[in-house]
Amino acid sequence: MEYQIFDPRGVVHAEHRDIAPRVASLAGLRVGVLDNTKWNGWKVLERTMALLGEQTPFASVTRYKKESFSVNAEPELIARIAAENDVALIGIGD
Amino acid sequence: MTGSNVVDVVMATTMTAPEAGALPVGDPVEYYFEQAWSDGLPVVPPTQAKIDATVEALGGEPDFPEAVIPPRRGTLTREVLAINMVMAGCKPEYAPVVRAAMLALCTKQWNLNGVQATTHMAAPLLVVNGPVRNAIGMNAGHNVFGSGNRANATIGRAIRLVLLTVGGATPGDLDKSTLGHPGKYTYCIAENEELSPWAPYHVEHGMAPEDSAVFVIAAEPPHSVVNHVANDAQGVLDSIVSAMSTIAHNNAVASGSCAVVIGPEHAATIAASGFSRLDVRSYLWMNAGNTWGEVSFNDRYAGGGKVYNKALPAWYKRETNARIPIVPTPDDIHLFVAGGAAGRFSAFIPGWGRMTSPVLRKIGAMPEGAVCADGTCAL
Repeated sequence: MEYQIFDPRGVVHAEHRDIAPRVASLAGLRVGVLDNTKWNGWKVLERTMALLGEQTPFASVTRYKKESFSVNAEPELIARIAAENDVALIGIGD
Repeated sequence: MTGSNVVDVVMATTMTAPEAGALPVGDPVEYYFEQAWSDGLPVVPPTQAKIDATVEALGGEPDFPEAVIPPRRGTLTREVLAINMVMAGCKPEYAPVVRAAMLALCTKQWNLNGVQATTHMAAPLLVVNGPVRNAIGMNAGHNVFGSGNRANATIGRAIRLVLLTVGGATPGDLDKSTLGHPGKYTYCIAENEELSPWAPYHVEHGMAPEDSAVFVIAAEPPHSVVNHVANDAQGVLDSIVSAMSTIAHNNAVASGSCAVVIGPEHAATIAASGFSRLDVRSYLWMNAGNTWGEVSFNDRYAGGGKVYNKALPAWYKRETNARIPIVPTPDDIHLFVAGGAAGRFSAFIPGWGRMTSPVLRKIGAMPEGAVCADGTCAL
């Protein structure tokens, strides 16, 4: 017996984008840190920055905050982080 | 009318003897299981005739894109929606309800992306109002949240299948819910307008009784409220207040909105005390809640000035004995009458929190008025 099979998933229309190349060294770079406003998120990021800071002389460290942990960062915020920094640090802490 | 969703696979024309434990070849139900195109229960294998009938009921134009479903961001065309509806076991006449619910879930304020991905257990709860309930044979009576009615069961299941297949909410992958809950199979009821002493929910929100509408809220499971004793509104409502007043549900820490479903016997008792819908919601809002000391664990975890409590809503008064309502206003308590004629039970249904807003959407024609856009009214 033959059956016709129907794919229920629908098509994803997305542009392929390569991720940014890795930086060779963090020294002297501007780093943006995005606080997702989750209960423990900032604790993780703050501690991570402290540990990184002990070994890496950053040019600057700037904190940014999402409007809400449950929604994507607004495109304007992402553009600002990209414009004002060389690298960004994000993380989640539930 | 075959679009791009037909898989170029023809099942084996002859059954090969399966090895012990192997799936039989040539069984479409097993094929859909193998592709993980299922909620864990067998699906109805779609046929072109069934899909065509459902697309027709959705308004024709199989390639018409109704929505994009996060987090996977698959495109929900009418044909794709029809495929999922057939798989769920829906009749074509359920199409306007399923379509309206899907569009309501995809409004920005409902935040489907967040609900799909959260570690919380929230699932979309659908409540249907208006003549469409009886036209398609929905259950608003006994066992309303339970099994046994095709429309309730398969409308909710179709929504879940879309969220799984088109939205990619595979548990552990893009759906990170720690526990989930049984409403993630199906979570769809109708208001019992016939046994309600009050105007239907959609009429309370400005629609006409002859309109049909679907309400969607990201919700925890129902928490049963028993009260066989009280013969007045205050007694019944105090039991519901008790269920609402805990620090364990998401509303306690994230505010937002919740639902209360009052059984017909309780509703009759409450109404006999002269309480309107607004009176009920106001009473519940005024009396349910916690103290700041309770929701902040009396600062037990506030060491070193790094205060956990900072994440709690800004409007919570930071004083030990201050009363903290579980939602900001009485309008954030969404009140329904549902269930069977016998039994003194109601239910409290916590929401996900202020990260989402429930949505009421008219089924069929678009409503008039500036408070709504594209047929959707934010609540």
